[in-house]
Amino acid sequence: MDKPPSHPVNNPAPPPHLPSRRSFLRTSAILTTGLAALAASLKPLLEMNDFPTMERFLQKYYKEMTPQDMDKVLARIADETEKQYGLRPHVRDLKPMNGVEYVYCLNLTRCIGCRKCVHACVAENNQSRDPEIQYIRVLKLPDGSLDVDKADHFYASETVPQKGFFYMPVQCQQCKNPPCVKVCPVHATWQEADGITVIDYDWCIGCRYCEAACPYWARRFNFTQPSIPKDRLNPDMAYLGNRPRRQGVMEKCHFCIQRTRAGRYPACLEICPAGARKFGNILDPNSEVSYILRSKRVFIQLKEEMGTSPRFFYYFDV
Amino acid sequence: MTRAIRNYFVFLRRCAAVAFVGDWRYYAWTGLLSAICLLGLNAYCRQFAHGLIVTGMSDEVSWGVYIANFTFLVGVAAAAVMMVIPVYIYNNEELHDLVIFGELLAVAAILMCLAFVTVDLGRPDRFWHLIPGIGQFNFPKSMLSWDVIVLNGYLLLNVHICGYLLYCRYRKTKPGKWFYIPFVFIAIVWAVSIHTVTAFLYVGLGGRPFWNSSIVGPRFLASAFTAGPALIILAMQVVRRVTSYSPAGVGSGPSSGDTTQFSKRRAATLEDFALLERDLRELSSVSTETRQLLLPMMEVLEVQTGDALLRQGETSDRAFLILHGSVVVIKEENGRFRVTRTAGPGEQIGEVSALHATPRMATAVAEEPSVVFSMSTEALRLLMKSPSVNKIVRSRMYERLLITDRALMTLRSIVQVSMLINVFLLLNEVFKEFYSGNLHVISSKYLFVGLDGHHALVPWIWTAIAFNLIAMVLLLLPVSRSLKWLNVTCVLAIVGIWIEKGMGLVIPGFIPTPLGEMMEYRPSLNETLVCFGIWAFGLLCYTIFLRMSVPILQGRLSRDNEEPHTWPGKTSSAVPTANPLNSL
Repeated sequence: MDKPPSHPVNNPAPPPHLPSRRSFLRTSAILTTGLAALAASLKPLLEMNDFPTMERFLQKYYKEMTPQDMDKVLARIADETEKQYGLRPHVRDLKPMNGVEYVYCLNLTRCIGCRKCVHACVAENNQSRDPEIQYIRVLKLPDGSLDVDKADHFYASETVPQKGFFYMPVQCQQCKNPPCVKVCPVHATWQEADGITVIDYDWCIGCRYCEAACPYWARRFNFTQPSIPKDRLNPDMAYLGNRPRRQGVMEKCHFCIQRTRAGRYPACLEICPAGARKFGNILDPNSEVSYILRSKRVFIQLKEEMGTSPRFFYYFDV
Repeated sequence: MTRAIRNYFVFLRRCAAVAFVGDWRYYAWTGLLSAICLLGLNAYCRQFAHGLIVTGMSDEVSWGVYIANFTFLVGVAAAAVMMVIPVYIYNNEELHDLVIFGELLAVAAILMCLAFVTVDLGRPDRFWHLIPGIGQFNFPKSMLSWDVIVLNGYLLLNVHICGYLLYCRYRKTKPGKWFYIPFVFIAIVWAVSIHTVTAFLYVGLGGRPFWNSSIVGPRFLASAFTAGPALIILAMQVVRRVTSYSPAGVGSGPSSGDTTQFSKRRAATLEDFALLERDLRELSSVSTETRQLLLPMMEVLEVQTGDALLRQGETSDRAFLILHGSVVVIKEENGRFRVTRTAGPGEQIGEVSALHATPRMATAVAEEPSVVFSMSTEALRLLMKSPSVNKIVRSRMYERLLITDRALMTLRSIVQVSMLINVFLLLNEVFKEFYSGNLHVISSKYLFVGLDGHHALVPWIWTAIAFNLIAMVLLLLPVSRSLKWLNVTCVLAIVGIWIEKGMGLVIPGFIPTPLGEMMEYRPSLNETLVCFGIWAFGLLCYTIFLRMSVPILQGRLSRDNEEPHTWPGKTSSAVPTANPLNSL
């Protein structure tokens, strides 16, 4: 217990509100040390090469942007991309077409597991090469089983296909009832009228809850600033599609929105040497996909018991 | 109104000032914590600049120790407030003071939770997208938006309850029931909700069978009720220890053992009553006739610093009311001395033992030259015939900082029961997973026995199970009634649950991936430093909260000592008022 100091009457203590010189020196020494330590610990921020600008910080949500807002944003994206890659891209905001609902069908009898779709997708969609991001994962499964726990993800045989195995490429299944959309706390991902689940890369906060929710492991996170060689950039871009992403946001397969909404096939379909991939409008009874789903007796929606109702159908020829 | 705000700011300023004052142990502890905080901040800045690639997380295991710690701490926060139940519903007086400490722990835990969620974000700069009204808030669909609401709401509730109760204690006014009791009840329900919502974050994901089990919610609550009170048991003993006085402080203080021998004593006068009335307004209801009647039964003592008014263990029929100065009440427990409160002008000392004719529960020593009314039990009874005096004296009898061993034992029984339930629920889960043997058992297999040569979590989970079982057995044995063993038990339970609920729940949910890929997770150094930083930040917050609230609860920091109070009977310049903060 501190006893109150007993000062002699003729030697009064300094008034309490005026600090003595010694305590002032001590306080300022502590303050200086503290500030220096704080500055030192903040130093890694200088290594940042992508400071968010005020314009980007305040950018509106996709669905709340007026066409003028969108034009400005698209111009800014084009400028930034040109500055970074030395190539002026053609960035568009493509809207869904009326009376269209996209569906993908994949013929497991035909797929040979060559992974050409994986790389065509990377090239088309400006995915990061380092660290490597791929939307399509091809599983090598023993004949007779669809149990993915038996899958070989990293097969590296000299030739494909190998006897006794079949190959199943998995990408975003574009669910009718997508768990990723449900869990996103900020509506950064949603389902469009043509059935494509898209992401506003400028709205995503990077919580990765959608990645945990997806039963198909279809989502990919930019753990750092993505890097693409300058000469490999695909300049034909869409806002909700393959425009370059930034660090800390989610991305995934969007059925090549920049191609399909402009009337072209997805890149993975075009490259497929075996003709295993079919894509089209399910609302059009004359489309290829309508014919497949009508005529095949068995087709597979992966993990059907999840109730996600994928728009991605696997089927066999036999 | 402006005056009320000004008063409140004075209160806040003084609380803040207290946070910077302490002995060398306090400076060493807060200095150490601040240093670790800065290390964590440094690591976080690196992460902010380079992205989450500096962590051990990947697309395969996309949540790691950040979310694991978050989950554990939500439980701590929830459990800390559930301690309120015995106090307000069952009127358990033993836990009364623990409630404020519990709620402060909840505040610190929630701050840590929010920090852990923030460092887990890939784009923390876009946090405003989460603000309802400004951003896009996916409520009620996303469980994460529920979590944002319940966590922040819980923080506000607890800050309000603690802040209000402490401010009342500071002003020495009785808290208005309507200002806090409804919030206390809301907070109790809310505590269940923060935990359930956090469990639902996992339970709601159909694609992750390891989490998609309805028992996760109850398991969360059971483990929270084990780890939370266990943490409070440990924290309260630290509080008890650091608020204790060394035996020398009291033993050598008052040299004269005879408490009736004071340097100055005189008969009480009506003027003394008038002076007392300034600090004890309730006296105004006592009529002059009663005062006249009381005077012969009272006397005024002028005591010097270190004089003991009463001593623990003695029996006496005297009670005291303080006219001027300050008297510290020191309780001896197991050979240690601890300040339970400080009484200032207008407050009573020794009334409990005088009224109940029981031995003195503590020793009261003047900590500055003071003037006190000394009265017989008879006089006190007469005084308490006035309803308003009766009310104030009675209410003050219960407002004391008591962390008794009995209170800790009450907490022990909470931990005991919850641990039993926790282990029982864990067994349920293990049975369901392994006995049914369907394909969904694969994550549990990875967790408990390893899978295809991957077994990073196996030693962890078995350590957790061993710790939990040892803690459970210890809690069932009478040996944990001794504080030493109880502390061992608490540490085992906290560590066991931290592993089980953090790493043991979050990580295996991702392994293998929904496409069957095996990818293990190991936190990186940078990630670990960030975690240490946040824990240090939380402990620093809690330390500072306790630093502010303990003196308030002890009555050592109150409105009475805002300005040096001059006693008209003395020459004010002769004895400079000691800085009250020095002795806090």
